[in-house]
Amino acid sequence: MADITDEKKPLSRNEGIKSASRGLRGGIAEGLTDVITGQLDEDDTQLTKFHGIYQQDDRDIRAERGRKKMEKAFSFMARVRVPGGQMTPAQWLALDDIADERANGTLRVTTRQAIQFHGIIKSNLRPAIATINKALLDTLAACGDVNRNVMCAVNPYESAVHAQALKLAQDMSDHLSPRTTAYHEIWIDGENVVESAGNAKEEDEPIYGKTYLPRKFKATVAVPPQNDVDVYAHDLSFVAVLKDDTLIGWDVLVGGGMGMTHGETDTFPRTADVLGFCTPEQAVDVAEKVVIVQRDFGDRSVRKHARLKYTIENRGIDWFRAEVETRLGYKLGPVHVPEFKSRGDRYGWVQGDNGLWHVTLFLESGRVKDWPEKKLQTGMREIARMLDGGVIILTPNQNLTIANISAEQKPAVEALLAEHNMAITADSGLRRNSMACVALPTCGLALAESERYMPDLLTALESELALAGLTEDEITIRMTGCPNGCARPYLAEIAFVGRGPGTYNLYLGGSLEGERLNKLYRQDIGEAAILAELGPLLRQYATERKTAESFGDFVIRTGHIAATTAGNNFHANLKLA
Amino acid sequence: MASLPLLPSSAPFRPEEIAALNGVITKTSPEQRAWLSGFLAGFQAGTGGAQTAATAPQAPAKKVPLLILFATESGNAETLAAQTRKAAQKLGFAAKVSDVADIALADMAKAENVLIIVSTWGEGDPPQRAMDFYNGLLAEDAPRFDKTRFSLLALGDRAYVNFCMTGHIIDERLVALGAKRFAPLVECDVDFAKPAAGWIASTLDVLQKETADEHAVIHVDFARTVPAAAEDDEDAEPLYTRDRPFEAEISELINLNGTGSSAETWHTEISVEGSGLVHVPGDALGIVPVNDPALVEDILSVSGLTGDAAVREALSEAQDITTLTRPQVEAYAKLTDSAALKALAADPNALTAWLQGRQVIDLLEAAPAKLDAATLTGLLRPLPGRLYSIASSAKAAEDEVHLLVSAVRYQTHGRKRSGVASVDIAERRKKGGSLKVYLKANPHFRLPADPSRAVIMIGPGTGVAPFRAFMQEREAIGATGRNWLFFGNRHFTNDFLYQLEWQDWKKSGLLTRIDTAFSRDQREKVYVQNRIWEQRRELYRWMQDGAAIYVCGDANAMAKDVNHALIRVIADQAGIDETAAAAKLDTIRRDGRYLRDVY
Repeated sequence: MADITDEKKPLSRNEGIKSASRGLRGGIAEGLTDVITGQLDEDDTQLTKFHGIYQQDDRDIRAERGRKKMEKAFSFMARVRVPGGQMTPAQWLALDDIADERANGTLRVTTRQAIQFHGIIKSNLRPAIATINKALLDTLAACGDVNRNVMCAVNPYESAVHAQALKLAQDMSDHLSPRTTAYHEIWIDGENVVESAGNAKEEDEPIYGKTYLPRKFKATVAVPPQNDVDVYAHDLSFVAVLKDDTLIGWDVLVGGGMGMTHGETDTFPRTADVLGFCTPEQAVDVAEKVVIVQRDFGDRSVRKHARLKYTIENRGIDWFRAEVETRLGYKLGPVHVPEFKSRGDRYGWVQGDNGLWHVTLFLESGRVKDWPEKKLQTGMREIARMLDGGVIILTPNQNLTIANISAEQKPAVEALLAEHNMAITADSGLRRNSMACVALPTCGLALAESERYMPDLLTALESELALAGLTEDEITIRMTGCPNGCARPYLAEIAFVGRGPGTYNLYLGGSLEGERLNKLYRQDIGEAAILAELGPLLRQYATERKTAESFGDFVIRTGHIAATTAGNNFHANLKLA
Repeated sequence: MASLPLLPSSAPFRPEEIAALNGVITKTSPEQRAWLSGFLAGFQAGTGGAQTAATAPQAPAKKVPLLILFATESGNAETLAAQTRKAAQKLGFAAKVSDVADIALADMAKAENVLIIVSTWGEGDPPQRAMDFYNGLLAEDAPRFDKTRFSLLALGDRAYVNFCMTGHIIDERLVALGAKRFAPLVECDVDFAKPAAGWIASTLDVLQKETADEHAVIHVDFARTVPAAAEDDEDAEPLYTRDRPFEAEISELINLNGTGSSAETWHTEISVEGSGLVHVPGDALGIVPVNDPALVEDILSVSGLTGDAAVREALSEAQDITTLTRPQVEAYAKLTDSAALKALAADPNALTAWLQGRQVIDLLEAAPAKLDAATLTGLLRPLPGRLYSIASSAKAAEDEVHLLVSAVRYQTHGRKRSGVASVDIAERRKKGGSLKVYLKANPHFRLPADPSRAVIMIGPGTGVAPFRAFMQEREAIGATGRNWLFFGNRHFTNDFLYQLEWQDWKKSGLLTRIDTAFSRDQREKVYVQNRIWEQRRELYRWMQDGAAIYVCGDANAMAKDVNHALIRVIADQAGIDETAAAAKLDTIRRDGRYLRDVY
């Protein structure tokens, strides 16, 4: 592209906000004390993201607010950073309590192994974050232009390599954490912040510098053959390379990313490129240098173009590798092309190498709450209270694994699961491989429903599956309310991306294992058209598929859709009806 | 019960007439006596005044001084005091009216002729402004009232156990202190107009006679000229009343609480165009409600009167079909001869407990009986109007009056209960429909005359209504005084009444400060009194700078808690004990800088 070296392009507005923020402080502390409004200053809402906090409003009731002489129903989403999704039962209980006392009473397991609270009003924000801190968790850098929650393959107690993967995820998370003390000042120390803000010291951010990264940055660690973390969807991934069941190092992938904008074909999802191989000791250093190259070369003028994927797309992976190696002072080794078999979670009970039991539970759209027929939140609370030891793991597919259950406690856990009607798995292979983002009513970006609608659409699709005899087949299906891609829709075999109320773009042709993007198949369709399109395709798949052929491969082979071979041809070769 | 005074043998009647009249009087109920005295007063006026009756005493030549005192919370006692003065002046008394809050006991003790009108508030409490007077009177060092002759009119509400208690206490205390009770205490329930008129007429009549004896020359002061305009303004008959309301159009009706709120607070805009109704911030608007038709049907049904259209109309618009009082239980027990009700009526403690949360329908259902229309309506009290603080200034809203009406709904004894007026508005009134209204002036809840004086407004819930009027007024007149609002409710998100308006005023600088307390947004309940305490340093500074404090809203809990919080603030900031702080707050109140409109 011609403009990548054009130095005259003005910096984006966020760059000014970051550099003037005095280490991400801005006016957040003052804004929290203004009791007449539930919102913060607009610029400060950009800064709170670095603290893991998004200002939102209840869009369901937006229309009535002005008439009722009240401002929008503002509240905040706070995302708890949980590297590798690992929590103790005590931490789970602490978060569960915060959900009830300070938020909307539910917990949301995200697609990146974090926990989100929704509906925290401003006056509850500081107490909520302070309580999270007491549970030895934080929300710092869960959002914002920094390295966010580091994902990791589930489950660390399965093998020694899985444990090493978690160690890398946690080390990377620590190493890439912002150094600013603003987070503690504002949320933990609390009251005295306003007075002391004037003299607050601006800490050095040795990795990020004053303006942090041009855009968000997402990292994962995977252990083949499971690609549960979706390595191709992130800025940076480390994939375990084994020799005789022992970790010898990591294949490093860079430049993946999901977000795009409807109607702007210079924005597109992109699968990560292979950067090279590093030893276990080099991994954190490699991560740092990848971040630093992106810090220095990422586009700070146009935020839609600021992710690492565009830096690499524009300058090439060879250029990027050279920049990283220059900073490392050594060359990366040749990669061992990772081989993945699946991305879904393995539901149900398994016994680990350590003799302890692990159980993975299906969560509908990642939401932990008490449904009329299924008391998930109460059940999880009682299990967490009862567990002696044990670990609760948030999976990359927004499900839950309860790990390290002793043989003695296993029957008690089973009894609680049954008592609260917490089905371990879902009714179909499609539902078991489904994900949906939060969308309405809280997400400000949503154009259509996602979390609240996906279960119903799945029920409708399950009728089609039953007709086709595909109920048990593994097919990846994902939905997002907007094109920014939180549920990684562009890597699903079937995906829906919201366009407007009740209408979606339908994407097909992603691979089951997650290395190939899908492609737009139909635009702006509602549920009737979705079922009319997918029903015949599924029936055809059931009768004409080859042995072990996935649905995503099938629709390409049979010519329904062209394969997307790289992000830059995601928008090409469309065959729209 | 005290024995009734009989006509003395010196009365201007023949002995057999005196006996006959005494025979009638001894059998009368208080209502009958009140009616009779009202009738006689009217008869006198109608026949050309006292002077036509040869035996009637003449107005004294040298005007007899008369002190008329009132202790009021809602303004009724004050209205009656003005009415009394008007009547007294016509009879030639040199009548002077004073709030008990504004008179020293020593000065009162010097007065020879005193009429006192005393309200009892809530669960038997004196009106807030009367606290000093009340405490002083009951104190050991209270002055003697040996020179004083008096009569007391007690206002109350039979729905409360300690009916007219403050009146009785003051009445007995004055006698104990040597005062002569020249006419017995008269109790008034919520429909006080007739018995009060009777008391005014009869007491003035007695006084006139007693004082006439003290004056040798009887002479009518025909020459007395009244500065008509001034007098009329002050005592002017209100344009509209409960019984003579203005039928206004509802021009807007909005539930201000957000979806998901447990509350329902209706911003009600009422067009009073063409009514000539003039109000100032602090005033209230009376609403003449229509009873819940479902409840009317239930009552008609249990009484076997469903076919009676006239009684249906009376129950809908004229009778109080919810409030239940002891006399009603007693009367109905007799009427139905129900053993259970009779037993209940005979046991005051059991009756008190039984009355809790019960209404007329519960009484009727306790012993269902076929009634005739007159018996049923005779059992019921008149339907009173409901007062709502006006939430708008005429300078901003012009021909509209805005109210903040909180829909009251609760359940007791297995039955859903609804606020008579509030649910009438919330459920049965529509934008474009009509509402019968009248003005209720509230002279004790006014903005400072000096627009540069700072104002502290404490108004949680619907208590915020008059403060919206205050702000509109101060904005319209360009008042320079600072304004500080304490607001509270259940939830920030759905219950922040008029949030956008407060934001605009904050932005424009008119609203200097705002502190909020949303009780249910977190586990530990937070109320305005907590915020008052937290802000004590600044609050005290404002008080020291002369700020006026206004409190509006719930009388039972909030106003008391706020009062105590203010005392604690003063004690803490001035470094004095709470007794001294309370005295200091009293001084502020006497200065007219601590005003309350609580209900």
